[in-house]
Amino acid sequence: MKKPEKLIIDGKRLDGRTPDELRPLKIQAGLLKRADGSAYVELGENKVLVAVYGPREMHPRHLQQPDTAVLRCRYNMAPFSVDERKRPGPDRRSVEISKVTREAIEPVVFLELYPKSVIDVFIEILQADAGTRTTGITAASVALADAGVPMRDLISAAAVGKVDGTIVLDLNKQEDNWGTSDMPIALMPRKKLITLLQMDGHFTAEEFKNALALAFKGCEQIYEAQKQALRERYSIKPEGE
Amino acid sequence: MYEIVSSVKRDYIVDLARQEKRVDTRALDQNREISVETGLVKPAQGSALVKLGNTQVFAGVKIERAEPYPDSPSSGVLMVNAELLPLASPTFEPGRPDENAIELARVVDRGIRESGAIDLDKLSITPGEEVWAVFVDIHMLDHDGNLIDASALAAIAALWHMKTEGIEGWTLPEFPIRKKPIAVTIAKINEKLMVDPCLDEENVMDARITITTMEDGSICAMQKGGIGCFTPEELELAYELARSRAPELRKHIE
Amino acid sequence: MLHIQNRELVVPGQLIAEGGYFIREGAFREGDRIYASIVGLADLRGQNIRIIPLQGRYIPKRGDAVIGVVIDVHRSGWILDLNSPYVGNLFVSDLLQRKVDLLMEDISQYLSMGDVVMANVKDVNELMRVQLEAGEAGMGKVTGGKLMELTPTKIPRVIGRKGSMIAAMQNASGCQIKVGQNGRVMIWGDDPRMVNAVVEALLMIEREAHTSGLTDRVRLMLENIIEKIKLEGGT
Repeated sequence: MKKPEKLIIDGKRLDGRTPDELRPLKIQAGLLKRADGSAYVELGENKVLVAVYGPREMHPRHLQQPDTAVLRCRYNMAPFSVDERKRPGPDRRSVEISKVTREAIEPVVFLELYPKSVIDVFIEILQADAGTRTTGITAASVALADAGVPMRDLISAAAVGKVDGTIVLDLNKQEDNWGTSDMPIALMPRKKLITLLQMDGHFTAEEFKNALALAFKGCEQIYEAQKQALRERYSIKPEGE
Repeated sequence: MYEIVSSVKRDYIVDLARQEKRVDTRALDQNREISVETGLVKPAQGSALVKLGNTQVFAGVKIERAEPYPDSPSSGVLMVNAELLPLASPTFEPGRPDENAIELARVVDRGIRESGAIDLDKLSITPGEEVWAVFVDIHMLDHDGNLIDASALAAIAALWHMKTEGIEGWTLPEFPIRKKPIAVTIAKINEKLMVDPCLDEENVMDARITITTMEDGSICAMQKGGIGCFTPEELELAYELARSRAPELRKHIE
Repeated sequence: MLHIQNRELVVPGQLIAEGGYFIREGAFREGDRIYASIVGLADLRGQNIRIIPLQGRYIPKRGDAVIGVVIDVHRSGWILDLNSPYVGNLFVSDLLQRKVDLLMEDISQYLSMGDVVMANVKDVNELMRVQLEAGEAGMGKVTGGKLMELTPTKIPRVIGRKGSMIAAMQNASGCQIKVGQNGRVMIWGDDPRMVNAVVEALLMIEREAHTSGLTDRVRLMLENIIEKIKLEGGT
């Protein structure tokens, strides 16, 4: 891929979005039968499926916590999810993402209600286009709620970055590759508490402040979509109504 | 982790079998509802989502350059990999493919390879040095039994809907797929044979046999699984079932 | 002050109320405010706030009737799967209601792997060790019949107020139905078509547990099926 000369032309990004616009977002809850909870999210060209199993018995026994449940997250990219086929199995990047994903979600889950058990979150990236870790966290949150796991709030996640000197929300693949900064964030929207923050690139203090504010705006929109998906899942009308 | 089957459930299914009935009211030779959707993932040259009842399986096919096998220097390479994703069942654990995942991948591979479904000879770039490799990655998403048939159908459906524009250096007019092998798995419960076992039936069955047939009814692959046995008569009956059921699955490839 | 209506569908983190309400289930307090912790239906009565869960695993509590499956046998008893993150322990003395001389008796004659057992939760300690007892009449090993698993949160609807729903189903179908709080249901009937009718009724309750007028709809559905069966003839 060759670097485009400009990533922002006349205030619009290459895919037609304004700097503060999210890609098209679709969230569906409860689409898998065997999992205790599940969610499917499409954000732009990202397609992410999450299944939650638990709380369930923790094996091996020695990993049990006597007074709390253990939250386990596994982020996995399908070999066909990216242009150059990815070999199956966890690589160092997936291991890191699994860890920060868990740490992004753990603060809201009432783990103390299920001592000695485990809650497993499996995140499967079926198609990737930058922002898979935040999409995964967004989907995981919905899947946990779908499974009936008690939480203080949902977690909403989005990435912001800088391209051509402009702070933008929800980077796509080109912007991720050719931009100068990438900052994924996850929030507890109700209390505006940040549970995931990573960044690589370059921000001045001022740019960081603006980026954070923009991320909050994006997460609010995602929060609404998450809540809507859960409401739709359970708004089943009885036959005949 | 294993699946616990209660004695009550086992007895119930076994007794139903004796009456030639099934736990989900299907006939012995009846498939669950089948659906096939293709072209769902862009980075994959081919992809398909197959549903057999509540079982959901996703296959993605990617084409890349590779070195040929030494004993077939001008033939393309086919590699089939299956993942029993922990998403799909409480009994699947993360990690390297286990014997079940490997068996499944190899059974699907055999059906495609032995039938000559892909004309691998057309996939040579520079004989002895570089050929096209076809990677079929099959991911289980939701396990309600008969992952083999769903996987085989997903793989062949994906291969029949390949988009080759955009592959650098690809000179063929289209992807060289020419056959439609279809795997049909038959479970044996209490001496009765039944097609497309659901999960409850799989957990209780004595044995299973998967038979992959071509459009003309010839067999290109077979695999017996489980610790029970089949008599030759049962195998004949199983073949009849596989041959008569395959068209139902095959028509969804369109 | 309440921020939602009765029977409204709420999601985790949603503000339910402010002030001195009593939280019974599915919500938590932060300072003066009460928020939902699960996806569920609000059940607001007087000063009580309950969010009825639409999903969730079964957590054993003392006094619950449960249906378990034997997954392990040891010297003095059995371990039962309860469709829960927590297994149940059943000592042979709690099954037979008498002292057992383990040197003289072989306990495997009473229960083996895969057996289905109706039991009561005798005790759950703070380490989540679950003790079961199964000595009363109607408890113990279960044979024949059909075992179903439903979402545990729907079981109260299957039972109905003062057992009205389960009575309606038994009367209409002629089947015997036993229910465990852990989501498992046993159905016994002479006519497999009647048993299937009950299965359909249970699936309907699972789908529509959160709606009103359900008992009547279930009874009607069963009566329709039974009419059809009678017309088809033969039992």
